[in-house]
Amino acid sequence: MKSFLSLMLLVVTSFSFSQVTITGTVTDKRMVPIEGANVYLKGTYDGSSTIQDGTFSFTTSEVGTQTLVISYISFETFELVAEVNTITDVKIQLKEAINTLTGVTLSAGTFEAGDNSKVSVLKPLDVVTTASALGDFVGALQTLPGTSAVAEDGRLFVRGGGAEETQIFIDGVRVFTPFTPTSNNIPTRGRYSPFLFKGISFSTGGYSAEFGQALSGVLQLNTIDEPDQDKTDISLMTVGGGVGHTKKWKNNSVSVNASYINLAPYISITQSRDTWNKPYEGLAGEAVFRQKYENGILKLYAATDYSNFDLLQDNINFPEGFRFSLTNRNSYLNGSLKYFFDNDWTLQTGLSYTNDNTNILIDEAKVKGDENSIHVKAKVKKGFTSKVKLSFGTEYFITRFKEKFSDPNASFTTSFENDLWGSFAEADIFISNDFAFKPGIRAEYAQDQDKWYVSPRLSVAYKTGDSSQFSLAYGDFYQNPLNEYLKLTNTLEAEKATHYLLNYQYSKERRILRAELFHKEYDNLVKFDDDFPIATSNFNNNGDGYATGLDLFWRDGKSIKNFEYWLSYSYLDTERDYRNYPQRAIPNFSSEHNISLVGKWWVEKLRSQVGFSHTFATGRTYTDRNTDEFLAAKTKNFNSLSINWAYLISQQKILYFSINNVLGTRNVFGYDYANTPNMNGVFERQARRPNADQFFFVGFFWTISTDKSSNQLDNL
Amino acid sequence: MTRIVILLVALALGSISQTNAQSKYEQGMKKALELWGAQKPFESSNMFERITEVESEEWLPHYYIAMINALYSFGVTDKEKLTLQLERAKKHIEEAELISPNNPEILIIKATINTAWIAYDGATYGMTLSMKNAELYKKAFELAPENPRVVLSKAEWDMGSAKYFGQSTEPYCKDVERSLELFATFKAESTMHPSWGKDRAEEVLKSCK
Repeated sequence: MKSFLSLMLLVVTSFSFSQVTITGTVTDKRMVPIEGANVYLKGTYDGSSTIQDGTFSFTTSEVGTQTLVISYISFETFELVAEVNTITDVKIQLKEAINTLTGVTLSAGTFEAGDNSKVSVLKPLDVVTTASALGDFVGALQTLPGTSAVAEDGRLFVRGGGAEETQIFIDGVRVFTPFTPTSNNIPTRGRYSPFLFKGISFSTGGYSAEFGQALSGVLQLNTIDEPDQDKTDISLMTVGGGVGHTKKWKNNSVSVNASYINLAPYISITQSRDTWNKPYEGLAGEAVFRQKYENGILKLYAATDYSNFDLLQDNINFPEGFRFSLTNRNSYLNGSLKYFFDNDWTLQTGLSYTNDNTNILIDEAKVKGDENSIHVKAKVKKGFTSKVKLSFGTEYFITRFKEKFSDPNASFTTSFENDLWGSFAEADIFISNDFAFKPGIRAEYAQDQDKWYVSPRLSVAYKTGDSSQFSLAYGDFYQNPLNEYLKLTNTLEAEKATHYLLNYQYSKERRILRAELFHKEYDNLVKFDDDFPIATSNFNNNGDGYATGLDLFWRDGKSIKNFEYWLSYSYLDTERDYRNYPQRAIPNFSSEHNISLVGKWWVEKLRSQVGFSHTFATGRTYTDRNTDEFLAAKTKNFNSLSINWAYLISQQKILYFSINNVLGTRNVFGYDYANTPNMNGVFERQARRPNADQFFFVGFFWTISTDKSSNQLDNL
Repeated sequence: MTRIVILLVALALGSISQTNAQSKYEQGMKKALELWGAQKPFESSNMFERITEVESEEWLPHYYIAMINALYSFGVTDKEKLTLQLERAKKHIEEAELISPNNPEILIIKATINTAWIAYDGATYGMTLSMKNAELYKKAFELAPENPRVVLSKAEWDMGSAKYFGQSTEPYCKDVERSLELFATFKAESTMHPSWGKDRAEEVLKSCK
């Protein structure tokens, strides 16, 4: 028995030491050898790496049926099940894996700002260190092609579209009133502080079926998932101050922020064209709570702000000045939950609530407006393979709007209720790393119109080389008429735009070139037959228009050390017949040529970042009352050069200076004409100009954190 | 950075002389470290990867894959290659962290991956990732104030930031000196555990004088 056992042992031992040599060659589909692939028997340590000619060879003492695994970065892992001793001189071709990091991207129409997106044209810091932007994220986006310089407004005018045609979303949920209302010729700002966002994606056309109710553009802001550390930020500025604090725990964090802006001291020492009874004053607060779960993340964001001002604007028809005063109170709540299930299912839900309350005094008329809006949304994503991803979702918008108008002669209330239901489905299909397309469809039902809108979307991308690709996009876009019409009539239908885009993109080592040709057809635009929309106006959807053009973007951070610049150029040919236009005309917010040049130096010796930004735009149209022609005259060209300087006193203390329109160019946005002609029968006019040609800013930013190295550079 | 590599080579070679009876895992790890020592970092990384396929409870093979891919991405100018390599490093260091949470050695590699991004393009990644690194080093230091690699890496990072902001690096030299004192008494848990850093500390200290 003993001898039998030892015999057994001997057999087993010798058996296990009978080694087999496994050999083969690994290539890609074009038979090019792959070097460095990992080849091994599953569940064992036995294996090796392929050498330069793609061959591999290793010995194993395993027996029977085994699984040979070949894995290599950016290729799909290959498995071969066979008897070990038969695996000799095998020829294996690996298939390229779909790679979201380096493969083709469906990017027509979209600009990304963020860390790791390869189509990023703006970096996180740019949003706040662009000289002309003054810390407003919208200001930085205005240096991108596809936008028109409308300096007196401050909002985004995309490719011949009005400012209301671009919608803003935070974490996928709509922001109904993203801008603080202002008066004529005083630019507004985005309400939200830029440093709460980790990524910004700005689409100037052809966007995904996920987004509706925007004819021209979509701006998506994504809040930070997890702050880096505990810290306190303090800022002191010539126009006010702010405090912020972030506290981090194991799985959750809270950030709070408060700021107070008062333009009174600034106005008292500078010249302005208007007389301020009460200079602009604003108080804003924000809070974010984030909770991480094992498979998900919950974010709650709340913002509230209050602003007011009262001024007398110089106006040709009001010798005493034109009185305008405003008080606005706005609250915004946004909650979103993202949850990852097994099998590559993702659920994303969101809810937003906006309450906006405005009191305006225009000359002798009082307007009191109150808007309550809700957006609820749920979206599901499922990855079937690395090549096919499907997403679909549904959303509901509720708007309740009420406005009370009163002047010495009349008083009335207008209101409307607007409910809209939308649903969308979209697929990302990657044929290979070089070719992908994204078909989508969106359906909307407008309750008050009892009408359905169905819009198809398609985007296709083809990679032509390691660093370049072409994309195409097409889509129909519908948007409900503006509040200013809806409050007066319920006979209108949604306005419509159709986009066609052809995009070329080249990006390599910190250089990006983008060129995009676009054509946009407008239909069903709202028209009315008075100077302003009033209750007795006749409204219809008979307007239409088009916008055709070319956008170019070049960014270079490589050629010159410590210097980075970008150049945007937009050519725009557009006409539309809408509102009370007698015929198609170029709207007064569009310029034919727009150029922006932005540059930034990091000067190590001075511990400073110095930047400039120049905007040029050809003249905008206006109607000369002394002729019969509508919107046929053009203003002179617009020019504005801004400079800034950020100086690091120490790692956590920054001094910041900036001057907008440093050359003091006297820009004209248009003309106001006298209501009655003078003695010679000529209508006199007054140029529409900004309240002040120049604006300067000095700020001190101090960050207090335990590691003593973070600062507010990203907060400027 | 090449110095770190050489250093690791020395570490790997040192462990070869171990001749005790070893488990299959230890043998595999030893072989992988030898490959690295023989200037075959990616073969070594492949070997570690094979080990991770079998040993789901060990953080060290993941740690070394991440370390190799991070170290060899310094100086890579092809963004596609860099991205793939650093994403691979990130994936493995995250797996290591799942197996061994709150491990200061892992935090150091996480910060090294960020540093590789910053080294590639400071303007893009500097601001956001340097804050993350400050936090990572802070956490590592809280967990293991006596770990010489933590003390050294943190000091080097602080020196780098001070240099960038044009400030004196001198205050951090005594941290480096302290790390050397700690290296003198440091004993790794096993020959497979990280023990690199002493030569690097000596190098850095030279720049202080």
